[in-house]
Amino acid sequence: MNYLNVEASQHEMRLIQMGAKVEQINSKMCYIKFVIEGIPVEYVYNLNKKNKYFLERTKPYPLAVKAYENVADLVEVINVDIKQFKNVVKSKNIESFLAINKELISTIKKFEDLFLYYNVPTEEVELLKNKIGEIQQEIAKTKETAERVFFDKEPENLK
Amino acid sequence: MLQNHVFIALIIFILTYTAIISEKINRTVIALFGAVLMIIFQVLPQKRAFGIIDFNTIGLLIGMMIIVIILRKTGIFQYIAIRTAKASKGDPWKIFLMFSIITAVASALLDNVTTILLIAPVTLVITDTLKLNAFPFLFAEIFAANIGGTATLIGDPPNIMIGGATGLGFLDFIYNIAPAAVLVFIVTMFIMKFIFRKEFKVTEENKKNMLLFDEHKTIQNKKLLIQSGIVLGITILGFILHQAVHLESATVALFGGVLLLLVSKADPDEILMEIEWSTVFFFVGLFVLVGALEEVGVIKILAEKLIAATEGNVMVTSMLILWFSAVASAFVDNIPFVATMIPLIQNMQAISGIDVTPLWWSLALGACLGGNGTIVGASANVIAAGMMEKRGKKIGFVQYLKLAFPLMLVSIIISTIYLLVFYV
Repeated sequence: MNYLNVEASQHEMRLIQMGAKVEQINSKMCYIKFVIEGIPVEYVYNLNKKNKYFLERTKPYPLAVKAYENVADLVEVINVDIKQFKNVVKSKNIESFLAINKELISTIKKFEDLFLYYNVPTEEVELLKNKIGEIQQEIAKTKETAERVFFDKEPENLK
Repeated sequence: MLQNHVFIALIIFILTYTAIISEKINRTVIALFGAVLMIIFQVLPQKRAFGIIDFNTIGLLIGMMIIVIILRKTGIFQYIAIRTAKASKGDPWKIFLMFSIITAVASALLDNVTTILLIAPVTLVITDTLKLNAFPFLFAEIFAANIGGTATLIGDPPNIMIGGATGLGFLDFIYNIAPAAVLVFIVTMFIMKFIFRKEFKVTEENKKNMLLFDEHKTIQNKKLLIQSGIVLGITILGFILHQAVHLESATVALFGGVLLLLVSKADPDEILMEIEWSTVFFFVGLFVLVGALEEVGVIKILAEKLIAATEGNVMVTSMLILWFSAVASAFVDNIPFVATMIPLIQNMQAISGIDVTPLWWSLALGACLGGNGTIVGASANVIAAGMMEKRGKKIGFVQYLKLAFPLMLVSIIISTIYLLVFYV
């Protein structure tokens, strides 16, 4: 605990000098591990008294951090997520699904580096936007023709 | 039956202390285990064991911990440290000296470990910015914390325990010990200036980077700072007056702690969670262990032997306690050592009727300053060494000993002269 306090104090001092407002909260960090048909599905979330719970899926591919107001929501989100994974592992496309996700994440990182490290020409920006649009159209088109297999809740991003 | 109790108490005590010294098992767990064994084997009944616990020491520790935990959140330490470093214009020796003075003063009012936990992070950020080796700064702060803690009733656990057991108050420690601590501090700083003279070199560019720090940013909650400052002031005033108004030091500390909890509206669960309960329970275990030894008469026998060996001569006993405490505290935890020495000195007084007051000062000086001698001599040392190790700069036992032990001996020589001149 002492070492944690020392480390936290150093971080706090540096961040405050950078202009941040820092609030330290005692909390419990929870690591959750499932193995579904040999595929590890893991989450991490933070329990604290401030009624903000940050959940992130770390495996098989990261799911962006999301804050929840209610601790019960966390378990429900994980429950649905696990059901979806149990469903998807039965699919013959599971390997491709995981590989494409990995590629997408790698693409996002490269895209970010491109913009943070280089002055990208406008025509290239347009080209990238069009390519993204094409992928999104393809996803929407596939949704219309593919058989739906999960009904416990409606998709959040695919209307 | 009584003979059995003496034998059992001695076995439990020796095994427990051996385990504490070996540092193989958590010291709190083993102290509590030994204490419970004393009750299970009927060395002393549970009611008596609970009665032996010095709740003045426990209350003082908890009260001060609450104040420090809340005070820490105000950023005042960062403010003072940055302001001082900027006032020093990036001169490493001046920063070294000023940080050591801040540590010593803070340690006189707060406990040593807390002080190191407050000053070390700021020191590391400042030395990183100035591209200086952090070791000399942390080394000086360890010494400053242990020397500053020696000066007051509330500065170091041995003093808290001595005060709790004897009724010696805050001002008694200020009058009798603080001058010696100031003297030791001044001499130590000058020796360290010589030892680390080659480390105090910094480029102009790094000085400029350090001067960019804004101390005003560190105070994130002004209201809490004012509340904490007022309550700390009231608490210190309480310590100064506690004997005059017939209040125990624990009452003063607990009043300060609870008052600050009340006015700051800090979440009590959060604050109480941060109290170092393992330290508090370590004390509880030790009180029962030593109390059991006293109950069966072992401490009385030891006191008789010590009186016989020194022929009741206060000067000889005082020097013996000072030097033995210093060397012992350099290698073993000074808390269990002092816990054992307190009843021993009390028994000496009861048996021979001699004035043992100088012996308390010898014990306080020896036990507190002795902690500087090795890397394991005091909790503050262990924590600072741990920080250096985390930064990939491990401080070896011998490496630390070579520097620290002679400096510790110098402090004990100064204490010897001080005690000889003023007390015996």
